[in-house]
Amino acid sequence: MVIRILIASVGGQGGLTLARVLAEAAVLSGLSVRTGETLGMAQRYGSVVSYVQVGSRVYTPKFTPGEADYLVGLELVESIRNIHYLKPSGVALVADEYRPPYTLSVENPFNTRDQAIELIKKLESKTIIIPARRLAIELGNPRAINMVMLGSLNAVSNIFSHDKVEQAVRKVLPARVVESSIKAYIKGYEYAQAIRNSFLA
Amino acid sequence: MEYYSLHVYTLPFARLVYLLVPQVFNMVFTPMSLLAEPGTRLPLMGNEAIARGVLEAGVYIVTGYPGTPSSEVIMTLQEYSRDLDIYVEWSVNERVALEVAIGAAISGARAMSTMKAPGLNVASDPLLSAAYSGVDGGLVVYVADDPGPHTTQTEQDSRWYGELAKLPLISPSSPQEAKDYVVASVELSEALGLPVLLRTTTRVSHTVGDVLLGEIKQPRKGRGFSKNPERFVRAGMDWNLERHKWLNSRLARVEELSAKLGLNKVIGAGELCIVTEGAALNYVLETVEEYSLSARVLKLGLLHPFPRGFILDNIRGCREILVVEELDPYIEQHLKTVLYDAGLFIPIRGKTTKHLPIEGELDKSIVLNALGLKQRDQPRSPHKTPRRPPPLCPGCPHRFTFLALKRAISKKGFKLSEVPVIGDIGCYALSVYKPIDMLWTEHSMGASVSMAMGLKLAGYDKPVVAVIGDSTLYHAGLQSLIEAVNKRVDLLVIVVDNGVVAMTGHQSTPAWSTSETGRILKPISLDELVKAVNPDELRIVDSYNYDELVGVFEEFIDKPGVKVVVSRHPCALLEARLKGVKTRYTVDVELCKGCKACLVVTGCPAIVMEGGRARIIQEDCNGCGLCTRFCPYNAIKQMG
Ligand code: SF4
Ligand code: SF4
Repeated sequence: MVIRILIASVGGQGGLTLARVLAEAAVLSGLSVRTGETLGMAQRYGSVVSYVQVGSRVYTPKFTPGEADYLVGLELVESIRNIHYLKPSGVALVADEYRPPYTLSVENPFNTRDQAIELIKKLESKTIIIPARRLAIELGNPRAINMVMLGSLNAVSNIFSHDKVEQAVRKVLPARVVESSIKAYIKGYEYAQAIRNSFLA
Repeated sequence: MEYYSLHVYTLPFARLVYLLVPQVFNMVFTPMSLLAEPGTRLPLMGNEAIARGVLEAGVYIVTGYPGTPSSEVIMTLQEYSRDLDIYVEWSVNERVALEVAIGAAISGARAMSTMKAPGLNVASDPLLSAAYSGVDGGLVVYVADDPGPHTTQTEQDSRWYGELAKLPLISPSSPQEAKDYVVASVELSEALGLPVLLRTTTRVSHTVGDVLLGEIKQPRKGRGFSKNPERFVRAGMDWNLERHKWLNSRLARVEELSAKLGLNKVIGAGELCIVTEGAALNYVLETVEEYSLSARVLKLGLLHPFPRGFILDNIRGCREILVVEELDPYIEQHLKTVLYDAGLFIPIRGKTTKHLPIEGELDKSIVLNALGLKQRDQPRSPHKTPRRPPPLCPGCPHRFTFLALKRAISKKGFKLSEVPVIGDIGCYALSVYKPIDMLWTEHSMGASVSMAMGLKLAGYDKPVVAVIGDSTLYHAGLQSLIEAVNKRVDLLVIVVDNGVVAMTGHQSTPAWSTSETGRILKPISLDELVKAVNPDELRIVDSYNYDELVGVFEEFIDKPGVKVVVSRHPCALLEARLKGVKTRYTVDVELCKGCKACLVVTGCPAIVMEGGRARIIQEDCNGCGLCTRFCPYNAIKQMG
């Protein structure tokens, strides 16, 4: 059994850190893991995807469209760009962050976040929109959107125990943000948990 | 530059924060993972695994030049250098890096050099000679190829360097093997007395996987060096002929040694045979498992010399062979020769038969396709979404330089389409994208000034501008500058100096006074170097001083001779991390008319248009203030 997660983000949003926390949590849980991503400064503010595969035995650094169990989108446009990675039974967890790329900003300056949300829901009905920025800001750390999304993912997928996620966060993140990151994780978990059952029924 | 004191902040996003040296943050961390006990299983990125391999192989000298996807080996080791008795420093370029490593290895020290594929081209001269001289301590040349390509100018297949340099070349498939192969490379290198090429691709170097750690060895230092001109002086042609014979005799032993190291493997059984290596092995294994194929997978770890014996021992009984490899049909061609020589005829499918593409990286669907299989869930088609190419960062000093150059060209009455801007390798190449849209060429390290010179010599009658970064100038640009000044061409050369090798993740340059490891350096002043070359004009300007930049570009652009402008300002991203951002800007929605001027002029990624108004993404603004210049309604305000 392999669980495939695609993380779509804008470079600098913490998508790679999120992938790394998942990798830590997997190894702490005694599972095999592979993540694949393209690194390098040039990716900053560009489109970034991370492939994460967790299971008893995994091989490949990436997977193909139609294979993802979960799409974790840290930004709406990037989520739309990568929605085809989901398999038919897959679920999209998408932060309501809206950062239109340059061309979209210039050509369609009247586009809004709501339109983007509408579009992604149309493209995939099994989409859960997470008010990630609001939740992160409530905790005083606007950069913790990735951790809110980690919580939402774990609420829906139940891949890891809280304990392992917490240990992984402690290993990967710098100490000064560990506590706020764990809180953000719990916030995201609770938010998604609350709407999960009604939603997936 | 006082970057060092806080150098830990200079990590790229790629770097794993948990690898930071704890004492610098003065906080409690879990035990340092790179130095964890043997038997520990850790998630490590391929390059981190290689860094651990360096310790397990007892390597003492590690040199290299930053280049994606190879940089994290040295970056990771540097984080631990205080606890390790090893030398691990960036070099001025790959060729120097390799020569330093060769010098160490001929004295018996274990050494390694790291580089991206084009870096090996730069280092190829010493590499080929080193094959004739041989080494005493293990010497590993780590080179990372980039099928895709994701971050490299060409889809170079460095496996051919094994053949060209007549050196053993091995290629791992996973982070675990990446680590283990460093140890194997050193063993092989010492057994043969030859440098060994350790070659990876992006999907090995930048993949995180679970890795089981082994024993750390004491680093092996030099043991002295005795004079032996026959071996080390390549001026003697008889000696060279003898050394060539020696080299060939060494190569003949590689396959036998590699068998002991278990580099090649047979996985599974069947009449359908798949020969593969590197990252491609993973797509093959997953497909075989998922579709329950009965296939015999021949995984090659040794790519040069081609493992003839292993192939012949394991290929009999194959009905057909599929070769799954990235980049060139390297295995395919060698396999055909081996089978032909053995009088075997087995149909071979691969790139030359068009079963697999010859460009781009592989994935599972390509392997499925080559096997005539269909993906279970047909994927839906992607939704057409506007591209998001990587822009210059918010507050990037290069944005000032290029916008000022644009302005100066127009003010002087030239068209932007008639003044070629010949670029070089570095972040500033991102100025090729809209809306800055200034770069005309970007080729190879240091090529800007020399190519611009060629353009002028060929008779180009409008001004030509060359743009080169500080680290690129140190790396290979100085020679081009010498050439241009010496031959008296007319060029405007802009040195964009942000004080750091930014694009690959903020590594040190020769201008630093302390390296990442705390080594006290003698800083080499860029200004003094340029002065020594004696260009016809030299001006040093703070890049944030937009008006001054416009003025000097206007003054210089059509003046005769080589005019150098050093446009200097620290990398905005690094500054923000080192010192924090003091002021940020915001858009007053009452005043904003939605004219888009701020965005279409600067292309700053902190500015987005939403609902017909501009918005500055607060935490992304680095406070450079450039956008305020272009708002006709004064709607962009500094925040308190
Ligand atoms: S001041 Fe303007 S141009 Fe500079 S970083 Fe902030 S938003 Fe971008
Ligand atoms: S330039 Fe000024 S008025 Fe025009 S969109 Fe930008 S902030 Fe608004």
